[in-house]
Amino acid sequence: MNLKKYLFLILLPGFLSCHKFLDQQPVDYVSDQVTIVDATSAQTAVRGIYRKLSSDNYYGSLFQSFGYLSGDNVQWTGSQSIIQQFITHNLKSDNGNLESVWTGIYSTINLANHVITKVPGVKDPSLTQALSNQLTGEAYLIRALSYFDLVRTWGGVPIVLTPTLTPSDKDTVKRSTAAQVYAQVLSDLNTAENLLPAPASGSPNPVRANKETAQALKARYYLYQGQWADAANYASLVIGDVKNYTLLKPYSAFFFPASAIATKESVFELSYSATNTNGHRGYWQPPANGGTRQWAPSDAFISLVNDPTIGGNRNTLVAKTSAGLWYGNLYYRSPATDPAYIIRIAELYLIRAEARAQQDDVSDALADLDTVRARAALVPSTATTKDDILLAIENERRIEFAFEPHRWYDLVRTGRAAAVLGVSDPRKYVFPLPIAEVNLSKGNLPQNDGYQ
Amino acid sequence: MKRIVPYLLLLLSIRVMGQNTNNIDITGKIYDQKTGVGLPGATVHIKGTTHEVVTDKDGRFRFLTGQKLPVVLQVSYVGYQAREVAENTSRNIDIWLAETSSQLNDVVVVGYGTQRRKDLTSAISTIKAAEVAGTPVASFDAQLQGKAPGLQINSNAGVPGDGIFVRVRGTTSINADNNPLYIVDGVFVNNTSLQTVNSGGRSTSPLADINPADIENIEVLKDASATAIYGSRGANGVVIVTTKRGGFNARSKLNLDVSTGAAWAPKLWDLTTGPQHAALVNEFYTNSYQDAVAANDPAGINKYKTQPFIGSALNPGVTTGRGTPDLQKTYDRLHEIFRTGNLQNYNLSLSGGNKETRYYLGGGYTRQEADIKPLYFQRVSFKLNVDEKVNEYIQVGVSNNFSRTFRNQGRAGDGPAGGLLQSALHTPTYLPELNADGTPARWAGFDNLQVLLKNYNVNTVSLRYIGNLYFDAQITPELKFHSTFSLDYNNYNESEYWNNLTQLGAPPTNGLATSTITQSSTWINEQTLSYRKNFSGRHNLGVLIGNTVQSNPVNITFAQGSGFPSNAYKNISSAATRTSWDSSRKANLSSFFARIDYNFANKYYVELSGRADGSSKFGVNNKWGYFPSVGVSWRAKEETFLKKVDAISDLKLRASYGITGNQSGISFYASQGLWSGGYGYPDGSSGDQPGAAPFQLSNPNLKWESTKQANLGLDLGLLNGRITVDFNVYYKYTSNALLLLPIPGITGFTNYYSNAGEISNKGYELGINSVNIRNGAFTWQTNFSISGNTNKVEKLPAPIYQYNRNWIVMQQGSPLYSFWLYKQLYVDPKTGASVFEGQVNGTLPASARQVMHNAMPKFFGGINNTVTWKGFDLSVLFSYQYGNYTYNLNKFFGEGGGTRDANRVIFSDQLRRWQKPGDVTDVPRVTAYGLSYTIDQNSRFLEDASFIRLRSLTLGYTIPRRITERLKVETVRVYFSGTNLLLLTKYTGPDPEANVTGIETVQGLDLGTPPQPRTIQFGLNITL
Repeated sequence: MNLKKYLFLILLPGFLSCHKFLDQQPVDYVSDQVTIVDATSAQTAVRGIYRKLSSDNYYGSLFQSFGYLSGDNVQWTGSQSIIQQFITHNLKSDNGNLESVWTGIYSTINLANHVITKVPGVKDPSLTQALSNQLTGEAYLIRALSYFDLVRTWGGVPIVLTPTLTPSDKDTVKRSTAAQVYAQVLSDLNTAENLLPAPASGSPNPVRANKETAQALKARYYLYQGQWADAANYASLVIGDVKNYTLLKPYSAFFFPASAIATKESVFELSYSATNTNGHRGYWQPPANGGTRQWAPSDAFISLVNDPTIGGNRNTLVAKTSAGLWYGNLYYRSPATDPAYIIRIAELYLIRAEARAQQDDVSDALADLDTVRARAALVPSTATTKDDILLAIENERRIEFAFEPHRWYDLVRTGRAAAVLGVSDPRKYVFPLPIAEVNLSKGNLPQNDGYQ
Repeated sequence: MKRIVPYLLLLLSIRVMGQNTNNIDITGKIYDQKTGVGLPGATVHIKGTTHEVVTDKDGRFRFLTGQKLPVVLQVSYVGYQAREVAENTSRNIDIWLAETSSQLNDVVVVGYGTQRRKDLTSAISTIKAAEVAGTPVASFDAQLQGKAPGLQINSNAGVPGDGIFVRVRGTTSINADNNPLYIVDGVFVNNTSLQTVNSGGRSTSPLADINPADIENIEVLKDASATAIYGSRGANGVVIVTTKRGGFNARSKLNLDVSTGAAWAPKLWDLTTGPQHAALVNEFYTNSYQDAVAANDPAGINKYKTQPFIGSALNPGVTTGRGTPDLQKTYDRLHEIFRTGNLQNYNLSLSGGNKETRYYLGGGYTRQEADIKPLYFQRVSFKLNVDEKVNEYIQVGVSNNFSRTFRNQGRAGDGPAGGLLQSALHTPTYLPELNADGTPARWAGFDNLQVLLKNYNVNTVSLRYIGNLYFDAQITPELKFHSTFSLDYNNYNESEYWNNLTQLGAPPTNGLATSTITQSSTWINEQTLSYRKNFSGRHNLGVLIGNTVQSNPVNITFAQGSGFPSNAYKNISSAATRTSWDSSRKANLSSFFARIDYNFANKYYVELSGRADGSSKFGVNNKWGYFPSVGVSWRAKEETFLKKVDAISDLKLRASYGITGNQSGISFYASQGLWSGGYGYPDGSSGDQPGAAPFQLSNPNLKWESTKQANLGLDLGLLNGRITVDFNVYYKYTSNALLLLPIPGITGFTNYYSNAGEISNKGYELGINSVNIRNGAFTWQTNFSISGNTNKVEKLPAPIYQYNRNWIVMQQGSPLYSFWLYKQLYVDPKTGASVFEGQVNGTLPASARQVMHNAMPKFFGGINNTVTWKGFDLSVLFSYQYGNYTYNLNKFFGEGGGTRDANRVIFSDQLRRWQKPGDVTDVPRVTAYGLSYTIDQNSRFLEDASFIRLRSLTLGYTIPRRITERLKVETVRVYFSGTNLLLLTKYTGPDPEANVTGIETVQGLDLGTPPQPRTIQFGLNITL
């Protein structure tokens, strides 16, 4: 029987299991060893930061919801009590949205850190110094915004300035104080302002950051810090660029019709596409329009915004279903390509108005306030005293930025949360840290006072 | 052993035709008592002589000898009870043999071979497919509930063809696969659903591609001695499926099986009527207003000052209310969606063989409608098994399974848009189906039910081929070489179309369509060389060595379109906006294995096995894993002191220990640090340019998860094998568990693949089979099984929370599938408010949240009684589970106390709410304030889901042969089978076996899934 002779032929394929067979590389992903190596990959990574910034967890929806749900413009109409916790100011540390936003912001920071660390060292002739500065500057700016959002939400947080390469990289990073985080924000904004080029005159590109984006954010930063002169100065720098930024009329012109994207109203907005959609509309729109209407404008807000002497033409922010239910209509496009608005020129007018009023410059403050009011088709404010004007600005901001992340942060910043929202316990002015993060931190991240 | 029970003789249907003391001429035929089929190859021996004949392919024999009458015929056949028949006349006789209940000589399929049951050192359960054929489910694994000790089967939803929950001896892993390895005719088949469409969290079962009617039997390998030869695939047990084959020298046999029946939901939810709903919401407003005043909350006072259900609906201009409660109508949507589904099943097979060739040809068609519209499952399958003896040394053969399954799928599960039970169950009953203008009304974020039912268009077609080609060479009588090439190929084609009447396709989307094509294949090449020899009569040695190489490429192509010109256009190419993506991945595995078994005088057994596996999923340092095992057994019955004890027919003690591994279920590239594209963003004001971002952190040290398992077993046979007992205790300890370990969010990541956890399982399994009564015409058998398993997470660096509101937690010291809830202690009879454990001054800190119960049973099993009498056969199977809990999410939503007003249905249970001081109830006073209705993780909805279910009942009648013979038909059997005819449970939902998701780490969340159907079927089985 010569069978045995052929036996090895049959066995052979089994022993072909050489090393290569067990060394499979993905085709859907690339190794993290070769990520930022030339001009193209540097640009690719920076676009990635913007897409992280625009993710559902951050400016896409959830972070934005922190700012307005905790205010007084929105009521809870869905089934998830994690939303209700924001509205009733009874936040619990196991609220899943806290964790989502926390990780959403820090993953944006991580990619920014990759760019900040790696891009300056890339040797590629096509990566000019100007391009390198611009890309690095954008990363600094987004990192500054990220820490700003973290600190105004939670107070002091851990400061991470290097890219994460191993799981234990950040095990020893301790929680910083709020002041330290604000200092980091300012430092990053200054760096960004230095690195970023000025916008092309007359054709601004508000979906990408430039020098004036940094200045606008600095204006907001100084407002939060109560450094009124700086706030007013930086606001003026941006307002002064009249070729690039202007208050569009009517109010709805910055978001309606659907073609209204990257308008001159926006100093910084985020872009979405049919591929990278913005989930925000889903929370606001009623089922008839393909949404879930998890939350809706409150009755109080509806009456304010529909009052022609208060809302003016801003009542286009809300709409009504055939069944008579009101819903927010700032995010409405399909496919869901609604921009996320980070800072609009209207905000800079109101920042300057507030900063001027705080410096007792009543007439200039009124002028800025009335500019915004006029755009909303309202008569000039009747406020005269400093306190009246500040209150008028507060109320103006409530309507102007109703569905953008401002109301809660404004009331906390101005110490008015107790009076307006009835939140008298100052420990509630920062949110609880996500309990999972506290538990994972090995003691580096003590919980905020008043929460467990 | 050859002694016969005297009363067996009493019922022989032998009629004496006359007396004759001359030479014998006896002809006859040997039949299987149950099926009435002739038994070829049975031995007929005249007692006290050397005369012996073997039956032919029809089971016939003839004696023509000079022996004198009367004689005693001894009839024997493998797997059947031997019989002696006294004969005092020459004539034609029929002899019926009963299958032996003592399975000691049964051949059991083990890893890469077979063994006699009495020679096993390991814990293996065998299930004959015929025993469970009456249960009309799409996949064979779903038929096994209550059938094998240690095998836990839970149906997640009453949707045919859906994935089910299967565990062999508990759950060993967190993020790697916990399902057993399924092997069909030597092919490692894929058991991970390829589903990508959203069906509300559920997923389909790839095993439903296999026609259960083609299966001969199923073995469940449980302990390490049995599974270690499968190395990295063995930790969760191995299920070996053997399909039907023909017989050499067997007459060709045609079998037709036809059945038809009905399926319906035996119990649904109790909902409030429209007036009750309205009254509860009004009460909620009244109470909330009081509380708002007490809390001095101006917003609340304003919101709740006016009840919504006031005024006259007939005169809507006068008030703004919705009309007083008594004016509300009730709309019953549940009975619009639940139906009596139709079941159809047709199977045709042809088998047989000659000296060199044997074959089995099968064709099947099944259509099963769910108890809920519009879901159904349909399968067409073909089967061809052929074996050919090329010469006396070489045999080659093929196995082929080809099937096409079609599923009309729907979102029965979680999620608002397109959700079937969201529309039918969760919509408040007072809301009408039509708007005032006659258009379909959509409420509460859910689709209109009628619109949904008329326009549902979600379909899945799975084309599946499972087959292999083998080559056997008997090199010497002791040495055998075996080589196979196997393929499991699945083309899985899913499509969805949501026209503009549905919520998902409504304007401004204007129609939404997706198409996903997934192609998964697993090819395996395997060689074994086996040697078996008996030395000097008492030493029996077997050696096996082998290797396999395996590759599993998966490719997915996805396209989506929205913005269709009209509902007449359905193809994505017609859509205004089109997006697409594709993905491909591949994992390889290379293995070497060996086994040595030795026994001395069939008394002392020892078996060693081991396997080395190299996987492409792991880092360079840890690609290879090694998995040894040892098993010993002692057949005490063979010892002299027991040989003479007639009462004990078998006694064997077994012990085994070994290590098995796990690597399936994790990402193919889990160990690598990766960035992902797809983060496009514009450079100018619009138009995405390519972007990339970190995707996962690397872990070059990622390695096998390994499970050590010790098993002690006892096999006992009593009363000549009429009672057999199979008892095992085991302890499994899994270390280096593969899991997505949470890491601090400040890293920019939420988790990474790591070997971090340790999990233990310990338990027992007891199976008792008893032939209570057996005589010629009447038999009664009982099979009983009970198994218990205790699971514990021994080590986990950080808790892992599951599902969207973290209802489930995995944490150190608790079992997997534990619930994480706030414990409602009682409802204060004075105030009507819920009182929670750990509440402080009316607030409930997160630290009060605790682990409560879990979704796994303390013990489970089944009891099966089979009775045959003449042509009748009756089989009744009860299955049971005890100590498992289910979180009743339907009730959580339905008992919201009116807080969700028009957004959610209210269950009748809400009527038991606290109303006045002194009321004792667990349903708190309805109000928006306080903790009563604002805690999403209230333990009030966690319910004991223990149950006893009449799993199946089958009654059959085989028409007597004297009638069928005239029709030239071998056997005709008619039968009735029913499933789920009775359910005893304290669970308040329709069915305690319910789970919303196919996610492996989540169990026991009941939301929006249809209950298990009750089914009845009538069938006819004909063999020619």
